[in-house]
Amino acid sequence: MSEHMNNNHQITKSPNHQIGRIVAFCCNYTASVATDTLREAGLIPESLDVKKLPCTGRIEVHALLDAFEQGAEAVFVAGCRADECHNLSGSRRAEKRVGYTKKLLKELGIEPDRIEMFFVHCGETQPIVEAVREMTARISKLEQLHST
Amino acid sequence: MIIAEQKPLNEILEMISGVERLLVLGCRGCVAVCSTGGDKEVGVLASALRLGRKKAGRPIEIDEETYVRQCDPEYLEPLKENGKKYDAVLSMACGVGVNFIADRCPDVNVLPALNTSFYGANLSSGEWAEMCAGCGACVLHLTGGLCPVARCAKSLSNGPCGGSVGGKCEINKNLPCIWHQICEKLTGRKQDQLLREIMPIRDWRPSGHGGPRRRIREDLLP
Repeated sequence: MSEHMNNNHQITKSPNHQIGRIVAFCCNYTASVATDTLREAGLIPESLDVKKLPCTGRIEVHALLDAFEQGAEAVFVAGCRADECHNLSGSRRAEKRVGYTKKLLKELGIEPDRIEMFFVHCGETQPIVEAVREMTARISKLEQLHST
Repeated sequence: MIIAEQKPLNEILEMISGVERLLVLGCRGCVAVCSTGGDKEVGVLASALRLGRKKAGRPIEIDEETYVRQCDPEYLEPLKENGKKYDAVLSMACGVGVNFIADRCPDVNVLPALNTSFYGANLSSGEWAEMCAGCGACVLHLTGGLCPVARCAKSLSNGPCGGSVGGKCEINKNLPCIWHQICEKLTGRKQDQLLREIMPIRDWRPSGHGGPRRRIREDLLP
């Protein structure tokens, strides 16, 4: 049985629709804190694979592509707001790498909407919930990238 | 350094359409410095190709390796045998590396992953510009160090053409007219007598128009 999120951001189980795996690369200082809280509260689905980074500026295009190669239907990066990054330009760098990955996906005939960058204020949980909802909504409209 | 650019992925996928076992081979020379063919780019390309082939329903087995250089024979030596294990070796070196593999490893099916662009300098992170044409007859001592062969759209030898307007080239309004810059620089240094010397008609044979070039230094020969 797979998971859905209702309008109250609670996860519900649906036997009819399989949510694909979503991989989230999160800044350890901001977004990862939020995802831990949300997971404990059951507000993000089990199918969300959260990978913590010391800074999203550390993310490489290779890692983003690798997530898709390993079975992700969607990938997102959640970093600090542009003017709040501990490393000044880390999340801006991540945004550029997400942009480059979109270009590569497009060249491969894969929908670039399967990857996105989100900016999150330290400790905020709502933007993470919204990011998960957004990516879930996107992939629910697309054909599955990976056969199950 | 030599500046190169990766070919479009669909062109590479078409090139390797019949390949089931591939080696993506990077080079830690110029192409690594210009972020096109080093270790990191090998990883990205291999991952993208695996993803593209998986999506097409024809998975591919890809190994990744990067040599110190692909333009020196000692580094290519292992490829003579190892390369035979693969249906193709996709070289992420410049055209020199691809040619050298083809020459030195005749049993290896080598394919190019890059388009070799020009000899250039790194203006800032992610930006490169052509600075030398490898013409084989350098005149930089007469032009304040600025190359009219590489940096003038018409490779003129004796001053700007009539299309130079406001210091910009008529070919591209964002491109400075290099002859305008040469004149300004030499005049500013009170070397403008150099501008009155007429350069003779250029002999293009050293630039490659006389056939492939080769340089030999007797004292270094084995």
